[in-house]
Amino acid sequence: MKISRRNFLKGSTATLFLAGFNFPLFANTNKKKNLVLIMLRGGMDGLCAVPIIGDKNFEKQRKDLILDQTIKLNSDFALHPKLKNFHNLWQKNLGAVVHATNIPYTKRSHFDGQNLMETGGHIPYAIKTGWLGRGMKLAELKGDGLALALPMPLLLRGIPSNDNFYPSKKRLPRTELLQLLKSIYAEKSEHDLANMMEIIANRSMMSSSGTSMSRKNSSLALKAGLELKKINGPRVAVFEVDGFDTHAAQGGVNGSHSDSLIEMDSIFKSLEKGLGSEIENTLVLTLTEFGRTIEQNGGRGTEHGYGSAIFMAGGLLKKSQVYTDWPGLKRKELFEGRDLNSTIDARSVYASAMSSVFDIDFKRIQKEVFWGDKLQNLSDKLFKV
Amino acid sequence: MKNFYRKVAFGLGSDDKTPSDPLKWATNQLNDIPEFSWKGKILPEKELRKYYRDYVYGDRKVLRKKFKNDKEGYKREKNKLRHVTGQKFWWNLELCIRHSEALKSKTPVLAKLWYFWGNHFAISEKDFLAQYTTGAYQREIIRANMNQNFEKMVQEATVAWTMIHHLDNNDNVGPKSQEAQWAKEKGRKVGVNENHARELLELHTVSPECGYTQEDVIQMAYVMSGWRPNWGKKRLETGDVHFNGEYHQPGTKRILGKKYKSGRKSLSEVITDLVNHPSCREFIAKKLCRYFITDNPTKEMMEPIIKAWEKSDGFLPDVHKAAVEVAFNYSEKYNKFQNPENWLLIMSKMSDVELVPTPKLMDLYTLGLKPTHEQRSLEYLLRELGHHPYLAKQPNGWSDVSDDWMSPELLIRRLVYAKEAYFKKNRKSQTNEFYEEMIEKNYDNPNEILKTINQQGDLSNKHVILFNLPETLKS
Repeated sequence: MKISRRNFLKGSTATLFLAGFNFPLFANTNKKKNLVLIMLRGGMDGLCAVPIIGDKNFEKQRKDLILDQTIKLNSDFALHPKLKNFHNLWQKNLGAVVHATNIPYTKRSHFDGQNLMETGGHIPYAIKTGWLGRGMKLAELKGDGLALALPMPLLLRGIPSNDNFYPSKKRLPRTELLQLLKSIYAEKSEHDLANMMEIIANRSMMSSSGTSMSRKNSSLALKAGLELKKINGPRVAVFEVDGFDTHAAQGGVNGSHSDSLIEMDSIFKSLEKGLGSEIENTLVLTLTEFGRTIEQNGGRGTEHGYGSAIFMAGGLLKKSQVYTDWPGLKRKELFEGRDLNSTIDARSVYASAMSSVFDIDFKRIQKEVFWGDKLQNLSDKLFKV
Repeated sequence: MKNFYRKVAFGLGSDDKTPSDPLKWATNQLNDIPEFSWKGKILPEKELRKYYRDYVYGDRKVLRKKFKNDKEGYKREKNKLRHVTGQKFWWNLELCIRHSEALKSKTPVLAKLWYFWGNHFAISEKDFLAQYTTGAYQREIIRANMNQNFEKMVQEATVAWTMIHHLDNNDNVGPKSQEAQWAKEKGRKVGVNENHARELLELHTVSPECGYTQEDVIQMAYVMSGWRPNWGKKRLETGDVHFNGEYHQPGTKRILGKKYKSGRKSLSEVITDLVNHPSCREFIAKKLCRYFITDNPTKEMMEPIIKAWEKSDGFLPDVHKAAVEVAFNYSEKYNKFQNPENWLLIMSKMSDVELVPTPKLMDLYTLGLKPTHEQRSLEYLLRELGHHPYLAKQPNGWSDVSDDWMSPELLIRRLVYAKEAYFKKNRKSQTNEFYEEMIEKNYDNPNEILKTINQQGDLSNKHVILFNLPETLKS
């Protein structure tokens, strides 16, 4: 087995002492960096979350969905007024947005779209691993993934021994029994099961006192933040927020789309709290399958669209900015005459993020994770390298 | 071979004799739809929908106005309303009916296929449908049609109230319809909602494999426009589904190259063509193989099912028999990781776990009260296992791919709830002899299994090991 970077750090304390003057530089470039993905399921409306300012076309088509008291981010874009925690981060240069972006998928099916946002591929269900899992494999981050969900998300697949956490209220059987099962699995060449039993047996997060923990995303994020902060803790975490598919009653500031955005916002807050100063070495990104139509529908909701936005947070961001190549909202500028276009392949952002956080050459990620697809290296523009 | 009993059903229980012809034992269960084995109360969907109506109306039209400025009062009264309309009870009753078919009926194979179809025509988590009508929909629309042609199941599922509401077809209005005209005059804008149309193509019939386009989806939505609940001031959106021509897009539609005249009949005509499309039977055959046999079905596995479909015009008993036979023929070679609900039922059936509350206990429930802990046990347990059949996250239902169920947290649940289940068993079944007999009956390698579990002295620990052995997890 190759030595992963983390193992290398752990195993080389002695050499560090010997290294003497080299130590500060070495420690600095080899800091544990974390990557967090928040999957926004159902199609996040980038124009509800980060509306454009003063576009008459937009206001006309969304009469009943226009937000009051948005927070101005710059001369062109505002922020949904309920995203207070994100705004906090923004003010500290810890928050940024990529706008008019999406994965290269234009067919508007949730299931195909969510499959592709997780696999990073072009044909739904054709790829069985997630782009994040493949990136972690490239970085040799085995056992470093943590999903805050009950089933393991496809996004993390591609590297074995990921962990998931979604608190149970019951006590685990004795270690002896777990070890027995583990050896049975190993004997029968059930490697996946054996790996999982290994994780379970070593579980540090299981509360032994039997006190139950909340499963709200805000408390899961606090826990995840504390785990990510540990030098030997996970380096990648994945959250899921549902409910963005607002065909009806999407509403304005207090509508159903807002509820899901608020849940996302609570993750930012709790992660920051849990991570403490390690927020400086962390990058948080959102991911969704598509945006929503510009025009509101009959049910004061929106239909499945194309271009959306990515929220980014953490100290690995270069600065607070809305990064976009804005395509415009006139009919002929829209995708198929109805949706915000995507001018940045969202996978460029994710590939660049992995390159910066995992310290891997962008070209290798492009080639080995995304099959050599045409992607832009945005690391210099968006992230601290 | 004995894994076949777990593969297409839930294993053999203590009262079951080992069948002399296992395949026949299985296929004989698929001809008719027997009465439910649940001996307690069973409510029609229509009646349950009335409770849903009372909840929706009471909340939206009464409480929200009455308690506009009193958040706490609103909360309190809404909780009362929940209990008055049985919100925490009905879905538990439905689960009792559902699980009795696996555990107490003479047709567990039919039950396992029922769960398959319920998940194929999934109603995912939306608007409290799960608490009121999803279970009844699965009884009256899905199970009741399992001795019919697939087409009939699709026809009925498509216009079922629960499905129409679930996929927003009540919001689907033809842009050139009379209603759209009226709305325009009033300065309102209404239009097409593609959700249901897309899922009918993608999930319920032909699948994206058939190569339909976005235009096909829009045309399908036009065909579906007008199929909506009969709206009323008091019943709101809970009225029966009917075709309202005022909402229907006029003009000819074209789907997958074929033209359809406008009107009420067009939806049924399109469905007839969709279910007869080769992609539809391939899609269903693949899903059946994935459910019973392996994550990656081969063409050879699918072929007999497709043939049976073609020969019988999609007659479900024949399709089911073909699928079960394929499962039988591949049972030596393939083991399928069982989803949490099916795993729970396998454990309960084989080891006599008193999983389902008694009809007597359930019938003690009085509207307006909070159901007891015991009355709510199934719903709670399934959620804890990460697999409540009425709460799929998306309209594509719960996954039938093993990887989606492989994670430490999900395995933890199987460990802790196996232990819990042991203590729900009667004394008679808490003996070494009981386990020896059961293992002999249900596994091809009983001696090896006994040797393995006997490494633990305590019987409850043996139970936990047994139901977490690869042989049980994968059947």
